[in-house]
Amino acid sequence: MEILERFLKALEGIFTDSGLMTLGWQNYVMIAVACVLFYLAIKKQYEPLLLLPIAFGMLIVNLYPSIMAAPETTLMSAADCIKAKGTTQGYAVTMLDGVKYYNVPHYGGLFYYLYQGVKLGIYPPLIFLGVGAMTDFGPLIANPKSFILGAAAQIGIFITFIGAIFLGFTDSQAGAIGIIGGADGPTAIYVTTKLAPELLGSIAIAAYSYMALVPIIQPPIMRALTTKKERAVRMEQLRPVSKLEKIIFPVIIVIVISILLPDAAPLVGMLMFGNLLKESGVADRLSKTAQNELMNIITIFLGITVGATATGTNFLTLSTIKIIVLGLLAFMMGSACGVLFGKIMYKVTGGKVNPLIGSAGVSAVPMAARVSQRVGQEENPGNFLLMHAMGPNVAGVIGSAVAAGVLLNVLR
Amino acid sequence: MELMDKFTISASMLLTGFTIVFSVLIFLIFIIWLYGFIITKAQEKAVDLKREKKKVKIERKPEEKPEPPVNKKHIFTAEKDDSLSEEVVAVISAAVYSIYGSKEKVKIKSIKKSASRSAWGNAGIINNTRPF
Repeated sequence: MEILERFLKALEGIFTDSGLMTLGWQNYVMIAVACVLFYLAIKKQYEPLLLLPIAFGMLIVNLYPSIMAAPETTLMSAADCIKAKGTTQGYAVTMLDGVKYYNVPHYGGLFYYLYQGVKLGIYPPLIFLGVGAMTDFGPLIANPKSFILGAAAQIGIFITFIGAIFLGFTDSQAGAIGIIGGADGPTAIYVTTKLAPELLGSIAIAAYSYMALVPIIQPPIMRALTTKKERAVRMEQLRPVSKLEKIIFPVIIVIVISILLPDAAPLVGMLMFGNLLKESGVADRLSKTAQNELMNIITIFLGITVGATATGTNFLTLSTIKIIVLGLLAFMMGSACGVLFGKIMYKVTGGKVNPLIGSAGVSAVPMAARVSQRVGQEENPGNFLLMHAMGPNVAGVIGSAVAAGVLLNVLR
Repeated sequence: MELMDKFTISASMLLTGFTIVFSVLIFLIFIIWLYGFIITKAQEKAVDLKREKKKVKIERKPEEKPEPPVNKKHIFTAEKDDSLSEEVVAVISAAVYSIYGSKEKVKIKSIKKSASRSAWGNAGIINNTRPF
């Protein structure tokens, strides 16, 4: 009889602890959202390297929320401690009103510890290290005027800031939402963890989703703002850039930006360090590690823990809808401003610059540059804009880090 | 937040952001242009110096026919290789022309097949020259 009673009690315990009893409707909605992201990542191949870990983090945290639980300590009397743990030895003691209490720790969930890399702003600069080691700044050095297009594409960030303020967000939250317009995932995460950590899940997912949707969002804007003649412009071959110029570039950039905008130094510094490893040619092993193993490991940790911040109760709010709308606006404004400045450069240079390369000023590397190339080739199949668009594209990475530095400096 | 406060914060952020981002990046344009200019000049000077030295050496050897005076920036020197077809020569010439254009005088003196690389060497080159 006692055996049966114990068996039933165990079944009851398992049932009450199961997801069937503990999960709310919001968790089930988020599980469905995660499945949609799986579909987009696997079937449509939209940024699968990021979307897949994000979606999986989202799925698992909504099935088992304790995986993100923070560690805590319970004060137990000696009797309770012996009952629970079998001993009082090895536990720190706290005296309260002359009574001895033992500090019994409860460890946090797996993702809680991995998430510290996001929370403390460690992962985004490490991702930038890998990005720097993979990036060729040659097109930007050959044509430094590309920096103007990289700067123009950041205007969307500040215009969206205004929209967010008027939609009722605080100035710090508005800054974090605006940075989505930079189309740079690590920068968006870095700024959000510093300014509005409570919005991290929504902002990161919006930022990465829009980066994945660059080939869908940008072309209509590019076509609407340019004429057929402008889109067909063939640009002159870029000058060859010497190795010495490429080596000096990261050193100069990090010195200038760190002096002028110290808040941007962690991002720009790591970006340029990665690039120096690549260009110096003397640290091949480090360069390869930065662009492969390290980058992949950090991408997994970053993606899965950012996804894990999107619990049902956090994510399914009116704020998320506003963030998604504002993020799209920021992204579209950034692309449009880049194209408009491209048009100005087209006029100023007497038709030597194709305005389509302006949209690449948002820093979704190299996707935005590829879109410029594709739209340019639609008008003129013999037109090769890719390397010209890479200039504004990598300038956009530096530009969004500078914009992040401005936001952190002003709003923190 | 009052409506007036919202206007003030928005306008000041737009102005600050626009001004600083553009100023910093325009400053970088100037810096990159400057050091690019200095390095290019220094490297051209070094090439000229090398050429001068070579010329002096040639002048000291009267039995050898001196090289015709060259005011071209890029010279390709390699041995003649008869195994190359005319089509390959035409393609290489077109590629060189597309890089340097008609403004610079470029002369292809000879084209030679490079020594064949090992599979590992080829893999290394592909890995290093692939943009992303």
